[in-house]
Amino acid sequence: MGLSKKEISILIEIIFSIVFVFIFLPYFYENQEINLILMDDLIGKIIEILIFTVIYFSIAYSLLEFIFKKKESKDERDDMINSKSYKLGYLLYEFSLFIFIGYVCSKFKNKELLNLTGNQELYNNFQLTDGGIVFFVLVLLAFISIIKSLYQFYLHRTV
Amino acid sequence: MILKNNLKEIRQKNGFTQEELGTNVGVSRQTIISIERYRYKPTLELAMKIAQKLNIKIEKLFYFDQE
Repeated sequence: MGLSKKEISILIEIIFSIVFVFIFLPYFYENQEINLILMDDLIGKIIEILIFTVIYFSIAYSLLEFIFKKKESKDERDDMINSKSYKLGYLLYEFSLFIFIGYVCSKFKNKELLNLTGNQELYNNFQLTDGGIVFFVLVLLAFISIIKSLYQFYLHRTV
Repeated sequence: MILKNNLKEIRQKNGFTQEELGTNVGVSRQTIISIERYRYKPTLELAMKIAQKLNIKIEKLFYFDQE
């Protein structure tokens, strides 16, 4: 299966998203019950993510340029593929925004109901923390990014 | 009606490789492959550029298959 430079650059993005999910998301998953200000070494984690991102893309694209020396410019087919895949990404963003609003509303509703029951333990379980919001948003972003890139890759192979 | 073309035959008759034709009209080799396999319908601008490069009328290069 011969892959073009553009297809490999899409695969680089997909691999990054998957690596992000498995390496960095667990940290936010573990801290979703607390607020950002209480998170252990949040700034350090953000710096770690930034450094990893810069190093990963620098190495990956340098290797890509080394393997495929010829410069490939974008043409109308690439524009068509990008517009289709970004449209799918946009629709998924819209859909996930509704999910996110539903998630926030359900937390508030549960909080109200549990507040009435006076059960402190249950009340704590349904508290909306900014750590939880950050985790939820990151999961959605990673999921949408992977779907968009996979669709882009599929179009490059089939159109 | 399906939009088809004689691009492969006419390109080969003119002695162009897919890569060369793509470079001449400003698109990638993959785009030429996709057009030849009827998977991608080029814009009018690209279709005219290809026809001009291959020195053929656009209606001889692209046609509708009635089936």
